[in-house]
Amino acid sequence: MATEPLLVAENLHLRFGTTVALDSASVAVHAGEVLALMGPSGSGKSTLLHCLAGILHPDAGRVTYAGRDLTAMHDSERSALRRTELGLVFQFGQLVPELTCLENVALPLRLNGAPRRAALRSAAAWLERLEVSDVAGKRPGQVSGGQGQRVAVARSLVTRPRVVFADEPTGALDSLNGERVMQLFVAAARETGAAVVLVTHEARVAAYSDHEAVVRDGRVRTMEHVR
Amino acid sequence: MTRWAADLALGVRLSVGGGRSGWVRLGLIAAGVGLGVTMLLVAAALPAVLDARADRADARWVETQQTVDAGAPTVLTAPVRSVYHDAAVEGRLLQPESPDAPLPPGVDRQLAPGEIVLSPALDRLLASNDGAALRGRWGEEVVGLIAPEGLTGPGELTFYLGTDELTPDTADRLQTFGAPRGDAEAMSPVLVLLALVGMVVLLLPVGIFVSTAVRFGSEGRDRRLAALRLVGADAAMTRRVAAGETLAGAVLGLGLGALLFALVSRVAGSLVPGNLSFYPQDFRPVPWLVGLVVLLVPVTTVLVTLAALRQVVVEPLGVVRRSGERRRRLWWRLVVPAAGVVLLHPLVTGLDASAGTQVMIVAGLVLLLTGVALVLPWLVEATVHRLGPGGVAWDLAVRRLQLDSGTAVRAVSGIAVSVAGLVALQGIVGAIGALTAETTADTTTYQASVLDIDADADEVAAWTRELSAARGVTDVGTLTSLAAEPAGGGALGPDEVILESGPCAVLAQEAQVGACTDGDVFVVVPDGAAAPPAGSAYVLDGGGSAPWTLPASTRSADPAPGTVAVMDGGGPARILVTPGALAGVRPEVMAVTAYVALDPAVPDALDLMRTAAAQVDPRAYAASIEARGIATALGGIRQVLLVGTVALLVLIGASMLVNVVEQLRERRRLLAVLVAFGTRRRTLSASVLLQVAVPVALGLLLAVATGSVLALGLQVAVEAPLSFDWAGVGTTAGVAALVVLLTTAAGLPLLWRLTRPEGLRSE
Repeated sequence: MATEPLLVAENLHLRFGTTVALDSASVAVHAGEVLALMGPSGSGKSTLLHCLAGILHPDAGRVTYAGRDLTAMHDSERSALRRTELGLVFQFGQLVPELTCLENVALPLRLNGAPRRAALRSAAAWLERLEVSDVAGKRPGQVSGGQGQRVAVARSLVTRPRVVFADEPTGALDSLNGERVMQLFVAAARETGAAVVLVTHEARVAAYSDHEAVVRDGRVRTMEHVR
Repeated sequence: MTRWAADLALGVRLSVGGGRSGWVRLGLIAAGVGLGVTMLLVAAALPAVLDARADRADARWVETQQTVDAGAPTVLTAPVRSVYHDAAVEGRLLQPESPDAPLPPGVDRQLAPGEIVLSPALDRLLASNDGAALRGRWGEEVVGLIAPEGLTGPGELTFYLGTDELTPDTADRLQTFGAPRGDAEAMSPVLVLLALVGMVVLLLPVGIFVSTAVRFGSEGRDRRLAALRLVGADAAMTRRVAAGETLAGAVLGLGLGALLFALVSRVAGSLVPGNLSFYPQDFRPVPWLVGLVVLLVPVTTVLVTLAALRQVVVEPLGVVRRSGERRRRLWWRLVVPAAGVVLLHPLVTGLDASAGTQVMIVAGLVLLLTGVALVLPWLVEATVHRLGPGGVAWDLAVRRLQLDSGTAVRAVSGIAVSVAGLVALQGIVGAIGALTAETTADTTTYQASVLDIDADADEVAAWTRELSAARGVTDVGTLTSLAAEPAGGGALGPDEVILESGPCAVLAQEAQVGACTDGDVFVVVPDGAAAPPAGSAYVLDGGGSAPWTLPASTRSADPAPGTVAVMDGGGPARILVTPGALAGVRPEVMAVTAYVALDPAVPDALDLMRTAAAQVDPRAYAASIEARGIATALGGIRQVLLVGTVALLVLIGASMLVNVVEQLRERRRLLAVLVAFGTRRRTLSASVLLQVAVPVALGLLLAVATGSVLALGLQVAVEAPLSFDWAGVGTTAGVAALVVLLTTAAGLPLLWRLTRPEGLRSE
């Protein structure tokens, strides 16, 4: 790929107390590609994802997004970036339990200042796209894990982000549901042109990626081209 | 039994075994329970404080008309009432009639004329800059301090002053000090009612706070119970384990409460007004009440926990809450306050001080105020389901309340009950205040008066001279009550009159005389009294000279606002005479009231005048005209009420803070996720505040409505004019709302800390 990477992490170092979470970790993601970060529990892959998303601030090293240094940005600027250009999916969906599924999906748009009606219209379209229109009026506690995770994927894509970060998106699902969620997720992301950074320890999930990076002891050890 | 003990022990073990977060949860429960226990222990100490104060007051009580054994050593004594800067200073004149005359408790020597012993508080006041205008009021010859056994409390302002001017006619002769005060000091039904309302208002919320505290962290506990179900625990076992968890918090709370009480007891005496102060050793909780607290608090907390568990089904694979879809019903929630209203009927039908009535009123108040806590959840639920969409913060808050308003309502219900009670209390205190202090007396000419002047015609001039010489006094006018007998003999009958003489300016203090010149005579006839006809003749000097005749030019006048005749209604007719109308008659003076004009530019002019009056005769009572009639007991009750209200607000604030902290901790991961999405912290903060503000607003609305109705009932009970103190109610509700919102806001830094990205980490 000849173009400049959209997202680059260079020599990231991060400690939690005495625990070294990242130790000179580097990785790059191009626009539209799907990168899987693999590795055992505690290897630092989620921490790397959080640094890439501007959620965590590394002790040393630099994260560059579209030429802008994330590590030099103020927290409010990074928050604004996450509202507008980045999307997030977590293992357990982490939907707001008191909002309906439709309202959950509309939430990022509303946080961006979109009018309520317009936000709900877009959210409804995304629920349909993720094949969960039927749960629009239900609360997260009233839907199955697979449905909830599809709602979470819809929420991460509703703002049409340039990068979506997914932390074990199928970790809490059975294989059948996990497969379907990944199919819909990756298809939707590719359709919108979003890059995806995927944390997983499942090979079948990593198989949806274009690239794979293995994180071990806070370092990105290898990087393979899957496709 | 062993099984039970093992399950309870497992609960205790789980409560302390959850690592840092487990300890924090336990700490929060202990803090909530501890604050409640502190309030309960303070209440349990009050009977001991009252008893100790009463014992010391009994020991120095002067029984008038005491039977004196022949030849027994005696002392003549008379009370002295005075005021300094609105604080009552009550002392006693002592005139020993033999060297071994009885001494009041706390005094170790006989006092020679002019010698004075002071309470330590009065001694300190006199020595301080604040006491400048008090110095010299009763002489300077301080020969000692009154020991604690002679004082009701360390803050009491009192003294004993030696004199040689008492006679058996003007004083009490005592063989011994001390007697049970009995009915003489029994509280009136009105004050009993006040005390009952105050007790219920201040203690009922404590129960609600304690029951709220034990439900902290219940979501985490339910998940632990589900895990236990997964490994084979049955429903009964999980309930016992939950009871064990709660017990650990309750026992820790009891310990914390005892510790806080120990701290409070060091300062409690200084928080009440001086005339209600007490010694630290008085502040000991009554043992059987302590036993009750130690027993009831853990039992209540366990019962609350078990009742809360009825709302959830703990299954091996998770927890199902039953409250989600089931709407709350109103009818049974109304039964409790309705029963309270029924029990409160003596308020309207007639109040007495019997034990039965007291029990009914306390039970009625408890039920009515508990009704606020019962109706509020329904009100909040019914309201939030009707609230429309708004901004993101509003939606997050309202949706949260729609899904589960129980947690927020539990935190607010204590506040609502407190405010309802305080509004009621404020209503009754205000009404009684209005009843006793209905003084709209004209203060444009004279601002103070000296009552109970025992003087003859010559001494009146001396009084006028001495008072006029005091710094800050610009004018003195006297009103003399004259001895009057109907000419022709016979006692004054049903148509008896009071004759009083003074210049026009003084008469204007007593009646609406209008245009007045020397020589005028006015007659003031209260409702129901007969007016003496013109030409009625009176002997004013005890006989001898020609009788004085009520002239035909006598005008009738209405009583001046704020005078005794107005306050009491009825009473005999009063004839007010200017000196010119008595020309040629030298009347016999029965009593004198001096009206004093004060220079507002002179600081402490009133107290300087009081000091001048006391130097002439310590028994004369000098007071501000404005303050005349205000019951001092009510002033004390107001201050105690203020202390209680502040304590309650502190409890509300602390409880609210603990509650907010607990709720934020329970939702920390979700909050961290929302921030990870880019949600602004101010949006989250606004959402948290709105989640509190909506139930608080509804709670205060309900509280003000209930409290106002209750206040009206109480006003009917004490036969006070029905009034509604909007400013007072607004202040109470506003301060409560402010305390809640400020303490909630104080929890926001934790929100910001919890929403740091580390909150997302699970490893």
